[in-house]
Amino acid sequence: MLIIPAIDIIEGTCVRLEKGDYSTKKTYSKNPLKVAKNFEDKGAEMLHIVDLDGAKTGSMKNVETILKIRRNIRIPIQVGGGIRNISDARKYLNNGIDRIILGTKAVENKTLLGNLIKEFGSKKIIVSIDVLNGKIRTKGWLGKTGINYLDFAKELKKTGITEIICTDISRDGTLTSPNLIPLKKLKELGFNIIAAGGISDTKSIEKLRKIGIRGAIIGKALYENKIRIDDFFKNNLAKRIIVCMDIKNGRVVKGKNYKNLEDAGDPVKLAGKYCKTGTDELIFLDITATIEKRKILYRLVEQIAENINIPFTVGGGIKTLKDIKELLRRGADKVSIGSAAVANPKLIRRAAKKFGSQCIVISIDPKKNGNLQEIRTESGSKKTKITALEFAKKMEKFGAGELLINSIDRDGTGKGYDIELLREISESVRIPIIASSGAGKKEDFLEAFEDGKADAALSASMFHYGKIKIPELKKYLQNNNVKIRP
Amino acid sequence: MKIAIIDYGAGNLRSIESALKKLGQKFEIIKKPEELGDFAKVILPGVGAAKSAMNNLKKQGFSKTLAQLKIPFLGICLGLQLLSDFSYEDDVKCLSIIPGRVKKFPKFVKVPQIGWNKVNFVKESPLLDDIPNESYFYFVNSFYFETDRDFLTAESDYGITFPSIIQKDNFYATQFHPEKSGEIGAKLLFNFCKKC
Repeated sequence: MLIIPAIDIIEGTCVRLEKGDYSTKKTYSKNPLKVAKNFEDKGAEMLHIVDLDGAKTGSMKNVETILKIRRNIRIPIQVGGGIRNISDARKYLNNGIDRIILGTKAVENKTLLGNLIKEFGSKKIIVSIDVLNGKIRTKGWLGKTGINYLDFAKELKKTGITEIICTDISRDGTLTSPNLIPLKKLKELGFNIIAAGGISDTKSIEKLRKIGIRGAIIGKALYENKIRIDDFFKNNLAKRIIVCMDIKNGRVVKGKNYKNLEDAGDPVKLAGKYCKTGTDELIFLDITATIEKRKILYRLVEQIAENINIPFTVGGGIKTLKDIKELLRRGADKVSIGSAAVANPKLIRRAAKKFGSQCIVISIDPKKNGNLQEIRTESGSKKTKITALEFAKKMEKFGAGELLINSIDRDGTGKGYDIELLREISESVRIPIIASSGAGKKEDFLEAFEDGKADAALSASMFHYGKIKIPELKKYLQNNNVKIRP
Repeated sequence: MKIAIIDYGAGNLRSIESALKKLGQKFEIIKKPEELGDFAKVILPGVGAAKSAMNNLKKQGFSKTLAQLKIPFLGICLGLQLLSDFSYEDDVKCLSIIPGRVKKFPKFVKVPQIGWNKVNFVKESPLLDDIPNESYFYFVNSFYFETDRDFLTAESDYGITFPSIIQKDNFYATQFHPEKSGEIGAKLLFNFCKKC
């Protein structure tokens, strides 16, 4: 079921009324865009925006405010309030608004409804049925009509309308519970129903879900913090801490920028040790990756698979489907592909199809070129003129399961992850992203999760040099309200 | 007592093999249903897409025999989803062992779900012996099995609440990968081997 937060606007500010009474106006924010963004961030699937000035006066007063929200968020938006003719409808629907809501006008003018459906299709047009004591109300709920809502709905059915919003005015803004009877009756007529009015807790939502309601509009309960939108989208997936090991000739090595490499030990033993401390995942990057050394890597992957019981990814020099197959067959859970994904993107499409997206991690290595984050390949030596963001989107489209976001500028500096880069990519794709390059202190991880919106964060040096222990890092993140597997 | 692991070409079997080896559990990989007779229990692992998995199960002759099994069965990840009536991943008919359908996670969460998620127990089960409620297990999935509460042993939250362990009679199944879930996952596999 869709959970749809409501944003009601009067004179450009975000307000709530009680039972539609304008004298009860309460202003919640002067910045409706900020409110909208917050709802989107928290997981709302659609927004319900009402121009209350428009609803009351019959001419739209907040179009600019609403279109500004449209330009700045990605989830669908439905808008109502003051839409009285076809040119009003075009102002919204031709500017990216996904659906418009007609109330008053639908009651007065069914020809308009027909024309709108003809021009935009029935999916774009929703009728709001606002009911008080079984009778329809119009004009921001101030106008009495005496029309029975069911009679009206039957008439609507003939126009081709498929979806209606049913608001029980007596419950709206009251934080009680929705009135199920009109909803059920309207549903029986064959409409998709969106419920509004008095939905104030997850129990109400559960009741609506049970009777097959398509969506629920929630207003006051969210603004009054009676419920948090997160409660509807409970998500206990933990953020992951990943330890990365660079492998050369079958041994773990450490060193800055691949120079002055020192031996850091046996990968299998180190992996076992990290497992015990609560590491969520491991990545092994073969930095020799020559054909002669491949056999050493394969043997190593087998040993790791036999000895650890958490997921691990293997990367370095993967160029063909056969390379991927060999690594997966030997027990790697995922493979990480870098240069080959840039040179031959079709490889990713084929690999995702053959082995499943879940095991294809794309390693993105950008370096700043002016303001651009330009992808580099061949260990950073080759420029590509492709930006990290466009490459990320392309890889998602081609079937990548995860993106590993490096930054050549940050790598080995200990100055923290490139938060801007992380956030930009995370907000533009719908697959998990792993923050990499630059971690120097525990605060950097917190920042990657909170501001960079990363799903996982990786470091090699911090852990190998013992700058921080995994349990200590996890405790710190947990104390800062990051979801972490203890 | 020996456990059969069904090899039907859906992902590598190495992790589940290593996990059983560490528990000292005897097992064998089998590819034909006729071989099932020699075993006390059976595991259906699986990573990958529903359609090719179902095709392989059919080709190898498992699709009918599995439903008749009376020995304890453990389905893992895709091995859980294949127990359903139908999967919207590739719109494919599945084994119809546990009623329900396999659906995609809603659009507002990142898909695949990759990582450690909390498992909330709903019902007692020998699988969960000595495992604390709300333990974390490792998940990798884009789809979930929508089934009746009667079959629900545990559930998890990823945008929506979905079944993470289900059971009907001798058929047990986990949406997560116990073989990749550290010591707690090993404990669950131990329970399947010794207590189910």
